[in-house]
Amino acid sequence: MGETVTLTIDGRETQAKVGETLLQVARRMGAAIPTLCYHPAVSPYGACRLCLVEVKVRGRTRLVTSCCYPIREGLEAFTQSDRVLKARRGVMRLLLARAPESPELRKLAESMGITDPQLPSVTKGKRDCILCGLCVSVCNEVMGAAAISFSYRGVERVVTAPFEQSSPACLACGACAAVCPVGSVVLEYDGETVTVEPFGNRRPALRCRECGALIGGKGMGERVAQQLSGRLTQAVDLCAECKRKISAQAICQAGTAVVAWPALPEGVTER
Amino acid sequence: MSETMHADYLASIETIADRYGRNPDFLIPMMQDVQTAFGYLPRDALEGLADLLGIPPSQCFSVATFYKSFSLVPRGRHTITVCLGTVCYLKGGREIAETIERELEVKAGGTSRDGLFTYEPVNCLGACALAPVVVVDSEYYDHVKLRDLPRILKKYREADRKGQ
Amino acid sequence: MSSPIATIGDLERWQDRVRQAGPAAVQVAICMGTGCMAKGAASVLEAFRREIAALSDGPRIEIKQTGCHGFCSQGAIVVVSPPEVFYRDVRVEDVPEIVRETALQGQVIERLLYVDPVTNKAHCSPHSIPFYARQRRLVLERNGITDPNSIEDYVAAGGYSSLAKVLSEMTPEEVIAEVEKSGLRGRGGGGFPTGRKWRSCREAPGEPKYLICNGDEGDPGAFMDRSVMEGNPHAVIEGMIIGAYAIGAQQAFIYVRNEYPLAVQRLENALAQAREHGLLGSNILNSGFSLDIQIDRGGGAFVCGESTALMASLEGKPGEPRAKYVHTVEVGLHGKPTLLNNVETWANVPIIIARGADWFASIGTEKSKGTKVFSLVGKVQNTGLVEVPMGMTLREIVVEIGGGVPDGKRLKAVQTGGPSGGCIPTEHMDAEVDFDQLWELGSIMGSGGLIVMDEDTCMVNVARYFTEFLLKESCGKCVPCREGLAQVLEVLTRICAGKGREGDIELLLELCDCLDDAALCGLGNTASNPVRSTIRYFRDEYDAHIRDRRCPARECRGLFDYQIIAEQCRGCGVCAKECPAEAISGERKKPHVIDQDKCIRCGLCFAACPFDSIAKV
Repeated sequence: MGETVTLTIDGRETQAKVGETLLQVARRMGAAIPTLCYHPAVSPYGACRLCLVEVKVRGRTRLVTSCCYPIREGLEAFTQSDRVLKARRGVMRLLLARAPESPELRKLAESMGITDPQLPSVTKGKRDCILCGLCVSVCNEVMGAAAISFSYRGVERVVTAPFEQSSPACLACGACAAVCPVGSVVLEYDGETVTVEPFGNRRPALRCRECGALIGGKGMGERVAQQLSGRLTQAVDLCAECKRKISAQAICQAGTAVVAWPALPEGVTER
Repeated sequence: MSETMHADYLASIETIADRYGRNPDFLIPMMQDVQTAFGYLPRDALEGLADLLGIPPSQCFSVATFYKSFSLVPRGRHTITVCLGTVCYLKGGREIAETIERELEVKAGGTSRDGLFTYEPVNCLGACALAPVVVVDSEYYDHVKLRDLPRILKKYREADRKGQ
Repeated sequence: MSSPIATIGDLERWQDRVRQAGPAAVQVAICMGTGCMAKGAASVLEAFRREIAALSDGPRIEIKQTGCHGFCSQGAIVVVSPPEVFYRDVRVEDVPEIVRETALQGQVIERLLYVDPVTNKAHCSPHSIPFYARQRRLVLERNGITDPNSIEDYVAAGGYSSLAKVLSEMTPEEVIAEVEKSGLRGRGGGGFPTGRKWRSCREAPGEPKYLICNGDEGDPGAFMDRSVMEGNPHAVIEGMIIGAYAIGAQQAFIYVRNEYPLAVQRLENALAQAREHGLLGSNILNSGFSLDIQIDRGGGAFVCGESTALMASLEGKPGEPRAKYVHTVEVGLHGKPTLLNNVETWANVPIIIARGADWFASIGTEKSKGTKVFSLVGKVQNTGLVEVPMGMTLREIVVEIGGGVPDGKRLKAVQTGGPSGGCIPTEHMDAEVDFDQLWELGSIMGSGGLIVMDEDTCMVNVARYFTEFLLKESCGKCVPCREGLAQVLEVLTRICAGKGREGDIELLLELCDCLDDAALCGLGNTASNPVRSTIRYFRDEYDAHIRDRRCPARECRGLFDYQIIAEQCRGCGVCAKECPAEAISGERKKPHVIDQDKCIRCGLCFAACPFDSIAKV
């Protein structure tokens, strides 16, 4: 077990392991901290700035993003101070100006006390993209595909496939769609191809061998098959429904189960 | 792209990559060398480079679009650099930039339709004593006035006509 | 010199040998800085070579290509010694006369001398010119004297002696203690105590350790670091080797802007020379200490001046900063302890070692020691590089060294610290320039840009310019910088267009708060300075734009009119021909008139008029 330290969050003392972030510890204690660019599956990025909290270090306070702030002994943090709430609202207003129609953002903004977009839209993302970077991180760090990346910079920054053309590295696994906090990324099926939008990654689609339902990209199936062995590979091209059926039959017959096949990620739609 | 051309590409990219021990840390200087060799960053060259270095092509594209000195499209025969550093800006650089944009019908980073000029505004050339500064290729024009521009452009247009 | 310098004894013998070679009877020093090169210094050099080669006898005349002399508005600069006469604006056609009269006979050519615009006095010696006389040159001391392409020249002037002293007499601990004692603070902007930074890096766990020289001087209007890299590259290299020894690094990088090709070339040459002579590589001066330095060129991104962005760039990635909750001295390049200082900081190190921390600390103010190099530019008579002790007042720098504002215009403000600096108004001209004073005035030292603004400069437009600059250079990673600056620019643009609204100033300040508190890196955190400082000192100009739709400095287009001054107009018709709106009419050789209803206020007539007969009203 790692070293433990004692810290104070909103006046309550707690213990945590070295290596944990302030966000993890604070949320464990029930602190309400909004986030958009944070996801436990990928390394913290610190871009959306909503998770700001105030910390006191050597007598001086400052605002930090809790998602990437490492805890240390004696740390004192305030997650709901006036300064914190004001800064978070300031950031939220800016986000809302970028994507005023996004239902996800509006809901989050409302929970922070902002009902209407108060600033004009001066920047615009594809399909309400707020450039949180989760899709890029999951594609890179988790899938190892690096089929998309940030391109250009400043207000022109955008997530694209390399050369803004369909990338052969894309597995059409849908992980990007699953982690997108504003529903900007979707998988669109058109016959035997699946297109990951808004990146325009067009890949051969994978159908369930039993019922023919669309369940992602062929690349994803191959990748999964590579990582599994023996009988487990037989479940790769099955939809969740059929897998359950087959699994149930198998259990009845032999008493063993096929591993669970994850359900279609959120955000995956059929055209 | 033909096979032989592809082989040429590969050879020159390998030379460039070897110059930096194929260390992907030096991707930016390598890409600068690629740009010097081809005049811009051809997609095949970048994909070849990514392959040699064992990095995803998305990293090359990300870098190519992040840094201002890179161009993914062929450039004009001459590069007109207009300094828009604070001093040049205060001393008329803005008007010079606007006039060039109008005259050549280009935007920042763009190339005139005749393929002669690529127009590049830059932040500061560090030659503030000469403000406002215009640089064509590597020739400096100092204390440029709007009325000097036609003469400067004409010089390169005529040289080009003679050269062909 | 072919055999490497293996020991300190070798170095001393080499120094003696190059010194004994002695200077030629006459020396012609030609400034080869970017400013003078742009004014034709290369052709002047060629002309001198031709002219001197053609001489059949007479004294030996040595041509010396030097780094930037600093007085860039006077290029091309040539200094002939003896009699040490400073010639300005030298052209190819002047060269035969200079060789004949000055080099051979010691005669001064009056028309090439610098004439002080204030006193009308001509100056022979550079030391008597007010621009130089009030400076205190440490970092730039050898800039106009040594040949940056010659390691012998550097060595003859005592170069690499500090390195020898460090390697033979001092432990790394002692080196750090000396730098701490000197009070040196980082010259790249933040002003962080250099010695403390070195100590943290030395003590940080992890191997290997890296060392970086930040030569990504991106501030518009700043060229201090460029001149040092171009003019005295070995000083930077020597400083870096000393630093690497102090922290225990074996690999170092110099990160240079791609826009500075001459600096890259001079550094590459200097590194090759140092390697050839065994001053870089393994077992330097038989000390057991090894180091190599590599050059990495930036790709054109201002944000790469930020340390974490620079390190991302050195790893072959886009220059995106990351949170620095763990400092780069602990987790930097490739996750290893990394020491980063800028060019001018490194160039100060050999000086501190050679002359001692106490001596260094005797220069400057209580909390800012030593000198600072500024690039003095804008609406000022004497444009160029100036090095002054910390604590000199802005007035001394701008008026006494800079010669004040030209054309009888009124000084309005001095902008310091690059795009994230602030504008300091005339009432604070007596402020002593150091890290803390500038901070109190709402600006920063930055890397040392000093931009003088006169009455024709609109302060709202200045804020708009810097905001636009920063937005273009923002990496776009974090929301406050990308979205916040875009909002700030939107508001400033409408104010400059005469469409400002009541409440816009308050909105700007709110957006500034968000940038200060919530942005990820230094670029965003300081991006509000231009806006805040202009609101703080020039709020009346904002009000004039918003309430009266008027630009007091007559810079914002549409918020003033162009008028032809009838008494001066010669009726040449150039303006009418230029006017895209056909708003100008008049008979030939008679005063023309602008129809204000048709005028689109584009300013083309104003720029085109050969007789300056068009006024902004």
